[in-house]
Amino acid sequence: MNLLDIRNLSIELETPNGRVLAVDRVSLSMKEGEVRGLVGESGSGKSLLAQAIIGVLEDKWHVHADRFHWRGIDLLRLNIEERKTLLCKDIAMIFQEPMSCLDPTTTIGEQLSEALDNKQFSGYFWQKAKKRRAAVIKLLHKVGIKKHDFCIKSYPHQLTEAICQRVMIAIALAGQPILLIADEPTAAMESTNQGQIFRLLASLNQLKNMSILLISHDLENITHWTNTITVMYSGQFVEAGTTEQIFSKPLHPYTRALVDSSPQANLQLPAKSRLMTLPGSIPILKHLPIGCRLGPRCPRAQQACVIAPKVTNFHGHKVSCHFPLRVEPLKKERSSKGNSKQVTSKEGL
Amino acid sequence: MTALLEIRDIAKSFKLKGHWLHKKTFNALSPLSFTIESKKTLAIVGEAGSGKSTLAKVLVGAELPSSGKIYLNGQLLQDKRFKQRCQHIRMIFQDSGTTLNPSLTIEQLLDEPLSLNTDLNQLQRKKLIRTTLQKVGMLGDHMNFYPHMFSGGQKQRISLARAIILQPQVIILDEALASLDPSLRSQMINLLLDLQQQMGLAYILISHNLGIVRHFSDDVLVLSQGEVVERGKTAEIMKNPQHKVTQKLMMSQNFQLRNRS
Repeated sequence: MNLLDIRNLSIELETPNGRVLAVDRVSLSMKEGEVRGLVGESGSGKSLLAQAIIGVLEDKWHVHADRFHWRGIDLLRLNIEERKTLLCKDIAMIFQEPMSCLDPTTTIGEQLSEALDNKQFSGYFWQKAKKRRAAVIKLLHKVGIKKHDFCIKSYPHQLTEAICQRVMIAIALAGQPILLIADEPTAAMESTNQGQIFRLLASLNQLKNMSILLISHDLENITHWTNTITVMYSGQFVEAGTTEQIFSKPLHPYTRALVDSSPQANLQLPAKSRLMTLPGSIPILKHLPIGCRLGPRCPRAQQACVIAPKVTNFHGHKVSCHFPLRVEPLKKERSSKGNSKQVTSKEGL
Repeated sequence: MTALLEIRDIAKSFKLKGHWLHKKTFNALSPLSFTIESKKTLAIVGEAGSGKSTLAKVLVGAELPSSGKIYLNGQLLQDKRFKQRCQHIRMIFQDSGTTLNPSLTIEQLLDEPLSLNTDLNQLQRKKLIRTTLQKVGMLGDHMNFYPHMFSGGQKQRISLARAIILQPQVIILDEALASLDPSLRSQMINLLLDLQQQMGLAYILISHNLGIVRHFSDDVLVLSQGEVVERGKTAEIMKNPQHKVTQKLMMSQNFQLRNRS
C-alpha cells in the first residue's frame, strides 16, 4: 500500500483578479521506506505541495484533489482537527535556513524537550524531568551530536548551520515520524556540510525505514541520495521515474535541459564551452502561459502544446509532454493515434 | 609582459578582544600572492571561514590589507584611492535581490557609477546604459523599471550590467551563481563567458560548486584557514588533488558523479 497517494492535486490562490492556479494537477505517490526527490526551480510550487501535504497553508489557498490518501485514509474528508492529530504524529518537516527556524530566545535543550510528548514517559511526575532530559540527549546522539551538554545549553546563534540543521532533524524525529519532508535542507550550505546532512538523512532512512521527501531546486545535488525523482515546472507535473531513468534517459525536454545544463553532470564537456540552456526565464504567477507552461521556452514546442498534455506512462516512467524525447517511433504513433490506449495503461498502474 | 592584476603578499588580520598587553589577533589571510592575465578566470575555493570573502573584500578595497601590495597593469593600487580602483575592479554579490537599491529605477542605479566616475553628459550616459543593458541580454526599455519588477535571474543580470558599465578589467564574482536556478545559472555562465571574450575581462570566481569551477576557470586556488594549500591549473587539480582539503572538497561533491557513470 502506498504511504502517500496524491492524484491530480491542484492549489489555487485567491487574488483580487480571480483565482490563479499555482499548482496544476500534480500527482505524487510515496511508498514506505522510499526516498523521493521533488525537483523544481523557484516558483514551481514544490514548497506549496509540501505545505499542502502537512496542511499548513493559509485560507487564501484552495486545495482540491482527485485523491489525497495517507495510508489509505482520505485526508480531504477529515476535518482540520482530525487531520492535525493524524498527521502530526506521522509526518514531520524540516526547513531551509535552520538558523531562522529555531527560536532564537530559548536554548536548544528547551526546544527539543518541547517537542517530546509527555505521554512517552512512564513513572511518577518527579521522575519525568530526568527521563525527559535523557530522551533529549538520546535524540541529539541520534543525529550525531556528541557534545550534548554544550548543545543543550546553547542558543541557536552559538551553533554552526550544520549543527542547527541536525537539531532541526532531531526535533522532527522526536515524534518518530514515518515520513520526513525535507524542504531544501541544505540550501546555502557548504558542500562538506551538505554531505553530512544528506548522509544523516540516508542513514535514518535505512535504519528506521523512514520515508523521506527531499525537496530541492538543484537536480544534481540530490541524485546520489534518492531512489525516485519527481520533476515539476511552474506548478505543473513534468516527469517522474527512478533516479536512473531521469538521468540516463530523460523524456521531457525540460528534464533534459536540467541534466544538460549542469556542468557537473557532463564531465566530457570541454571547459569554457557554452552550456545548453533554455531561452527565457521562469514565468511569474501573474502571467502563466496556457497549456504546457514550458511552451514558450521549449525547443520542441508545437501547436498542440497550447493544450496541457496528459500524463503518459512508459514502464513506470511518467512524463507529461506531447512530444517526449527518445521514444521508439512505434510507440509514438500509438500515443498520437489513440490516446485512449495510453490512458487505460495509466489507469491500470 | 606584465600580468593584468598582481597580488603580492597580501595578508589580513583582525584584532580580537583581549588584555591590552597581550592583544590577540586573528589571521584571516596569511601572506599570499598570485597573478591574473586578461581573459582568464581564477577560481578560489575553500570551506567556510577559509578567507575567501576576506580576500575578495581586500581586492575591491572594502577592507584594507594588513600588509602587501596590489598592482594593476604594473601600477600600484593605493589603499584609499577608490576612484582608480572601482573603475577597474568590480564585484558581483551573491544575493542580487538585496544589493540593488529598491527605491531607485534601473536607470538611476546604473547612472550612479557613471556620474561619479566619468565625464559623460546625461545623453551619453543614457545611451551607454541602454547598450549595456542590451549587452547583458535585456531590453533598453527596462531602465525605467524598479528592481522588484524583475526575477532573480534578471536582477543578477542588472548587477552584471552595473559591474561592466565602467569597462572594468577585473570582475569578482563572490558566489554570484550560487543562488540562481539551474537553467538561469547556465544562461548566466554563457553570458559571462561571452563577455569575457568580447571585453577581455578577467574573473575571480569564488564558489563552492566544483562543477562550475571546473567548467568556468583556468586556474584554481584552494584556501584553508587563510593559507593557500594548493594552486595550479584547474584540470590538473581536479584530476589529481594533492592536499587533504582539496580531496575532502572533491569527495563531498563527487558522490553523484561516481554513482552515475
